Amino acid sequence: MFADEDLDSVSVESVWRKSQQGAQESVRVKRSATADAHLVLFCVTRFWFCLFQRACQTPAVTTEHAGVQTGSKTSRFTQTEPQEQMDPKRVFSGSGSDPPGLVDFLRRVEELLIRELEKNSRSHAFDGFRANWEERSQQVSHLHRLEHPGAQEQGLHVTAVSWSCTGSVIACAYGRTDDGDWTNQKSCVCLWNLDRRGLRPKQPDLVLDVPAAVTAVCCHPERPALIAGGLYNGEVVVWDTSRTQDPVLAQTGMSADSHREPVYQVFWVPLEKKGEFGVLSSSSGGRVLLWTVDPDQGRMVLVAAYAFVQQQVPHSSRLKARGGSTVGVTATALSPWDPDTFLVGSEGGLLLRCSFSSQTPAAVTSEGRSVTPRAPAVFSFRPSGGPVHSIHCSPFHRNLFASAGTDGLVQVRSLLQADPLLSVRVSDSYVFQVQWSPSRPLVFAAATGRGEVQIFDLARKSLRPAGTIQDGAPGRTATCLAFNSQNHRLLAAGRSDGSVGIWRLSSELMEQRPSESLQLEQIANQVAE
Amino acid sequence: MADVEETLKRIEGHKGVIGTIIVNSEGLPIRTTLDNSTTSLYARLLRSFTTLARSAVRDVDPQNDLTFVRIRSKKQEILVAPENNYLLVVIQNPSE
Repeated sequence: MFADEDLDSVSVESVWRKSQQGAQESVRVKRSATADAHLVLFCVTRFWFCLFQRACQTPAVTTEHAGVQTGSKTSRFTQTEPQEQMDPKRVFSGSGSDPPGLVDFLRRVEELLIRELEKNSRSHAFDGFRANWEERSQQVSHLHRLEHPGAQEQGLHVTAVSWSCTGSVIACAYGRTDDGDWTNQKSCVCLWNLDRRGLRPKQPDLVLDVPAAVTAVCCHPERPALIAGGLYNGEVVVWDTSRTQDPVLAQTGMSADSHREPVYQVFWVPLEKKGEFGVLSSSSGGRVLLWTVDPDQGRMVLVAAYAFVQQQVPHSSRLKARGGSTVGVTATALSPWDPDTFLVGSEGGLLLRCSFSSQTPAAVTSEGRSVTPRAPAVFSFRPSGGPVHSIHCSPFHRNLFASAGTDGLVQVRSLLQADPLLSVRVSDSYVFQVQWSPSRPLVFAAATGRGEVQIFDLARKSLRPAGTIQDGAPGRTATCLAFNSQNHRLLAAGRSDGSVGIWRLSSELMEQRPSESLQLEQIANQVAE
Repeated sequence: MADVEETLKRIEGHKGVIGTIIVNSEGLPIRTTLDNSTTSLYARLLRSFTTLARSAVRDVDPQNDLTFVRIRSKKQEILVAPENNYLLVVIQNPSE
């Protein structure tokens, strides 16, 4: 960087005389003169490293003073007023003074209004009149038949179907419904998105491989990517379909806390903290467990455990207890009206109403479990004739629920009474699942062992079903069904040949009639003899 | 004030009446027998609906004016007695 250099000598012209003459000149000229001198000075000092003194002088700087004065002045202030929060509570207080003119207004309109009200209550003008907002279809039509060839080759049945909270994705769980033994058979959960244009019925959009047969599946009610599943070996798994690497978000593993028997139902239940959900799983080992998901560690943490023991089940004098000491839970239902109540059906036909908040400890040995199990049974209904396969609470009435079992009957029961209100004979063989319609209070659908899905309408006086859905060859059992809660027209039914049928219901089965809630109320208020 | 309450009681006592709301000119409810959320919903929606209905009637014939509005739905009927300052909304279930 530093090297000796020989440069030509630089001559600097004297500029100070010139600048004196240029006193009237523009600023630009003045500046350049001084700049030149500075530049030369700078160059010289840089290459020679010696202080080279030069004198230079700028001409006198001229200054001038000028004054400005405003002619007139105005001043203004602005201020915002504090916004009054329109407090709706204050508006409804009612006790304060009435706004002016209210009394006169009421006097004027009262007569007119009362006349109209009376006319209305007597009028028959609109009886039976219904506006036609949507295209009505008379029949139930078959939309798709979804199959997974890989599962069908292995001879797997569809054990559970569940719609996602958006109503466009259906999750189907495969396993076997007729085996009683432990199997090591791998199975899968397949997802199809029905709203996609390129829907391929023979190829699922997503296949989640599972090391054991899946016996229950339930989609999260708020986050469409989460799916909870229960396996034949007692594990409960939560999958997150938004993760590409490994969809398993959390699983219970085979710990001392988990189930030892197949998990027949899983549900997402809202926990105390708003927005959080836990997974409730019930198995035929007589246990109902509530887990929360710990996504960081990939495991599920047990929060509460409920165990059913024959001695602790409340009995009434007429009911006889059947079966061994544990009550194998085959069906569970949550009540959408009361977050504390849940219903449980057992292998022996027992139907129990239980409470989440019960504090009595269960009479089981807690073998190294982290949470002591409690006995939640509060009330026992009259048992049905065989194992209870399915229970569902009515979304339209707080006290009604339907239960179905191997005796071929669907019983409509009230939470307040031990005896069923109505027994509807659905088929000669087993009934695997029953579900109330989300849009019509009096309609429910049942999946039977003959392969048919029967839809019953309690508004009709006859005992025959309002609709029968038969898909393909008879002799294949329909093992599960699910109504789509977002799009009330759709119903999914899974069968033992590994196919899932998507059906569109007729308008009659879907639209609520004006007096249905009343009729439902009447059914609920019947007292069974 | 007693007159107001008496009148409202007479109206509510009629067969099938589910609820009554009085709405002022800004669309804010002043009196109601229903819960807060339903009331504010009805008040806001019916105020704008009534104004629309009134302008429809007057656009067709400027000498005409709106006297009463009835909206019949599957489950109930909404009756609105409109005025410049106030609206009286009554919700009735006619099939009871």
